Amino acid sequence: MSEFFHQYFDFTVMGDHFSEVLEGFMKNLLLFAVVVLLALSWGLLLALIRQLPGRKLAPLRFLTIAYIDVLRAIPILIILLLISGGIPYLNFIPKEIRIPQWFGQPDPFWYSVLGLTLVYGAYMAEVYRAGIEAIPQGQVEAARSLGMSHSQAMRHVVVPQAVTKIPAPMLNEMISLLKDTTLASVVALGESVLISREILAESFNSSAVILAGLMFLAITLPAARLVDYLIKRNQGKITRGSHIEVA
Amino acid sequence: MSESMLKLAGIHKRFGELEVLKGVDLDVQKGEVVCVLGPSGSGKSTLLRCVNLLEPPEEGEIFLEGHDICKGPGSGTGEQSWELDFVRQRVGMVFQQFNLFPHKTVMENVTLAPRQVLGKSRAECEERAKALLERVGLGDKLNQYPERLSGGQQQRVAIARALAMEPRVMLFDEVTSALDPELVKEVLDTMRELASEGMTMMVVTHEMGFAREVGDQVVFMDGGVIVEQGKPADVLDAPREERTKRFLGLVLER
Repeated sequence: MSEFFHQYFDFTVMGDHFSEVLEGFMKNLLLFAVVVLLALSWGLLLALIRQLPGRKLAPLRFLTIAYIDVLRAIPILIILLLISGGIPYLNFIPKEIRIPQWFGQPDPFWYSVLGLTLVYGAYMAEVYRAGIEAIPQGQVEAARSLGMSHSQAMRHVVVPQAVTKIPAPMLNEMISLLKDTTLASVVALGESVLISREILAESFNSSAVILAGLMFLAITLPAARLVDYLIKRNQGKITRGSHIEVA
Repeated sequence: MSESMLKLAGIHKRFGELEVLKGVDLDVQKGEVVCVLGPSGSGKSTLLRCVNLLEPPEEGEIFLEGHDICKGPGSGTGEQSWELDFVRQRVGMVFQQFNLFPHKTVMENVTLAPRQVLGKSRAECEERAKALLERVGLGDKLNQYPERLSGGQQQRVAIARALAMEPRVMLFDEVTSALDPELVKEVLDTMRELASEGMTMMVVTHEMGFAREVGDQVVFMDGGVIVEQGKPADVLDAPREERTKRFLGLVLER
C-alpha cells in the first residue's frame, strides 16, 4: 500500500515540481480565458446565422448547421493535429499568420486557440440555440408587428431573454473547455499535462500528474457545484410559477 | 366617411394541405370598427395575421390607404414580395397572450419600437409613452416589469405599445380571451375609447356585447370564408344564414 502512495502521492515530488506544474496550469487558464471569449462570440454568431429567416438564406443556414454538426462529431485532437501539423507548411500564408507569435505566446498556443474556438464555438452555438428556441414565438411576433426587423427583434427581444436561460449549460461547456485545454499538450504547448508528463517520464513517479489533476479539481469542482445551484434556482423559479400577480 | 382604409381582395392562405382562408374580400373604411366573429378554426385570427403580414397570404391583394402592399406580380413568394415596413409601421396589433417583453419595464416596452424603428429620441419617446400610458390608466406603472401587473393591465400596456407607433389601423386578436372575467371590462373600455376617437379597428372577439355596441360592421366567418356581414343589429339579431344562426345560438345560450 505504501508503494501505491509513493507512486501517486509522493509529497516530495509534488513539492519539488509544484512551481513548474503551476506555471503550466497558468497556461491552461490563459488558453481557457482567450478561448472562452472567442468561442462565446463565435457560437452566438453561428446561432444567429442559423436563425436567419427567408428562403434566400437557406444555403447559409445549411452551411452553418453542417459546420456545427461536423465539428461536434470530430475528436478535438484531430482538429488540433490538422491545424498545428498543416498550417505552418502552407507557404501562401504570410509567416506572421502561419506561425503566429502574438502577445509573447508561442505558435502552439495560437494553434490551440484556433482549434478549441472552432470546436467550442459549435458546442456553444447549440447552447445558445436552446436558449433562443425557449423564447415563445409570440415575442418575435410582437416585435415584428411593431415594425422591428428580424435583427432588431433578435437583438432587443430574443437574445437578451435567451441568455438568461442558459448560464448552467454554458458553464458546463466552460468546465469541459478548461479540461480540454490539456489537449494543447499534443501540439507541444508547455501546459500542466505536458510538464507533468515529462516529470513522470524522468522520475517514473505519477505524483506530478496527480498534482496537475488537483489543480483542475480546485476550479472545476466548485464550478460544478455552481452549475447545480443555478439549475436548482432556475427550477425554483419555474415551480414558484410565473403566474400573474394581481397588483 | 367613405374613405377606404383597408381593402382585402380574394385572400387565400394555406398551411400545407390545409386551406385556412378560401378567398376573403373585405372593405374597411377609415374610422370604422369591424368585429370579426366565428367559431375557432374559422380563419378569423389568420385573417388578422394576413393583414399585417405575420402570415403573408398566398393569393389576393391588400390595399392599405389605397396603396397596394404587394410589391409586384410575384405575390405568394414569401416575405420579399410584400411591403413589410410600410405595413408594420401603419398597422398595430394586440395579441391574446399580451406578448409584452418580460425583460423590459412598462416604459421600455412602449418606447422600444419608436426608438429602434423610427429612430426617435429617448426623451420624445418617453414623453409620448407617458401620455399613452396615462390614457390607458397606467401612468403609475411606468417602471414596473410586466410580471408585476395583472392581465388586464398587461393588455392595456400592449395597447399603448402598439399606439406608440402611431398606427392607422389597429388589429385586436381575441385580446380579452386570456383574461379573468373581472379584468375584461377595463380592456374593452380602453378599446371603446379608442374607437370613439376615430381609430380604424379590426377586432376578432367573442364579446357579443362589444360587437353590438362598438362595431360599425360585424363579419361572421366560418370555414375560411365570410358567411355573413353587415350592421351589428342585422347580423346579430336577424341573421340570414343558417351557420350564423347556429353559432349565435350556441354563443348566446351560455
